[in-house]
Amino acid sequence: MSSAGVYIVKTVPSKEYLAPGHRACPGCGEALAVRLVQKILGRNVIIASATGCMEIISSPFPLSSWEVPWIHVAFENAAAVAGGIEKGLQVLKHKGKLKAKKINVIAMAGDGGTVDIGLQSLSGALERGHNILFVCYDNEAYMNTGVQRSSSTPFGASTTTSPAGMLKVGQRTNKKNMVEIAIAHGIPYVATASPSYPLDLADKVKKAVAIDGPAYLHILSVCPSGWGIPGDITIKMGRLAVQSGVFPLYEVENGKYKITVPIEELAPIELYLKPQKRFRHLQEETIGHIGKDVRQKWQELKKRSERD
Amino acid sequence: MITLWIDNKQYKAAEGQSILQVALDNGIDIPHLCYHEKLSSYGGCRLCQVEVTKDNRTILTTSCTYPVIDGIIVQTETPRVIKARRFIMELLLSLAPQAPKIKALAKEMGAIGTRFTPNTGDNCIKCGLCVRACEELVGAHAITFTHRGAQRIVEPPFEEAKNCIGCGTCVQICPTGCINIEDRGMERKIDKWKKTLKMKACKRCGRPFISFAEITFIMNKAKNPPSENWFEYCSDCR
Repeated sequence: MSSAGVYIVKTVPSKEYLAPGHRACPGCGEALAVRLVQKILGRNVIIASATGCMEIISSPFPLSSWEVPWIHVAFENAAAVAGGIEKGLQVLKHKGKLKAKKINVIAMAGDGGTVDIGLQSLSGALERGHNILFVCYDNEAYMNTGVQRSSSTPFGASTTTSPAGMLKVGQRTNKKNMVEIAIAHGIPYVATASPSYPLDLADKVKKAVAIDGPAYLHILSVCPSGWGIPGDITIKMGRLAVQSGVFPLYEVENGKYKITVPIEELAPIELYLKPQKRFRHLQEETIGHIGKDVRQKWQELKKRSERD
Repeated sequence: MITLWIDNKQYKAAEGQSILQVALDNGIDIPHLCYHEKLSSYGGCRLCQVEVTKDNRTILTTSCTYPVIDGIIVQTETPRVIKARRFIMELLLSLAPQAPKIKALAKEMGAIGTRFTPNTGDNCIKCGLCVRACEELVGAHAITFTHRGAQRIVEPPFEEAKNCIGCGTCVQICPTGCINIEDRGMERKIDKWKKTLKMKACKRCGRPFISFAEITFIMNKAKNPPSENWFEYCSDCR
């Protein structure tokens, strides 16, 4: 059911596990995504969070926004630490030192901690089959250090290390398809989500933690400061990213593709690109090229979901 | 403030809270299926059983329907409680043998398989969440319990869901996923309530996004109803 009514929202739990007062920029999509994920996960959870925006804004010493057990780890080993926690809990339960109730182990990282630096430990954790959920908050660059490009930055985006100018269009490579890499590990559950579709996100988190084995969730978190948009259109940009086919929302359960937010007709790509400062320099020709690429990928995804 | 003991620890609670609420607020995990924080307590699933000692008398009771009283002693993990819960889990498992949430919970509590004849119908466990959500959260009063004893089922009164507005809250809240909602073209179908609703399409993108019945319901219910134009466009195009 793609259109959520006003009444369904009332069934979402009211307890918050990410305390307010953290230092996120106004309109931060990542803080919103973390808050929603936390709400659904509830209290029985241990989180290993890689360095990144979320760690900077939520835990300035001696304060913390996390109302659940939370450990800050280095950039490269969020998945490895989560895997270790999961095994440790198993041992404690086996020895009878811990009640045999379900404790969800979550690894959280930004796109840098997932796609670039944390990729090898993530790949290892997925391959070993730890019962963890890895959540990637993708804001498409290293935002907390001042917008440096990552391999998750889309083609044409201007960042401080891939500036647009007379000769260059900004980022010259395409976005690394991390979701497909996770699927290629043959894990039971992979999905993309967006805080602009909160109930869809909630469903996916519920499914991911219920499944036995590793799960990977890729969340597009719109970054007003890095993308160069006003803070009040974060949700709109998230929806446009989905509607225009740039970031389709789908899930892959045991190799079966399913588009969870079906789109009849893709919105024009200009609607998504034009408001963003990082794409402001793009010529008509380049926009056409990006649009063609997006449509092609969307058709491929559609074919896969129809096949299954 | 009321003082009570749960698992040999002292806790403070506000008047009117149930034992389950106090336990969940303090991180004590009591399994439950029919309790929802925004709905009234019903005690339908019987899974949140605890031992309560008051005036030297110990009884086994559901914690979601037991209001906190000063000085009561609650035990959540005694052998008697665990045995009772496991037995209830077996009964629930026979009602909903295919539901993933029930299966996972049964595994957690050590109920492997069930001694009773598994139910062949849908996976409804009669927890009453959908009935209460429809009454209390939505206010549509579209469905209710009918019949008695073993024949008890949830269905619209007189087998026709006149009041159903197709909001989908019952689908979202159901723990076993036994209510199905299907959007086909310009129609929304809820098989369990035998209801087919006509959907309104967005003026700009043409996507059906709300049922006509829901619009009428909101317009009648709201104190300051929105203008008619509000429902012309979907939330994306608004």
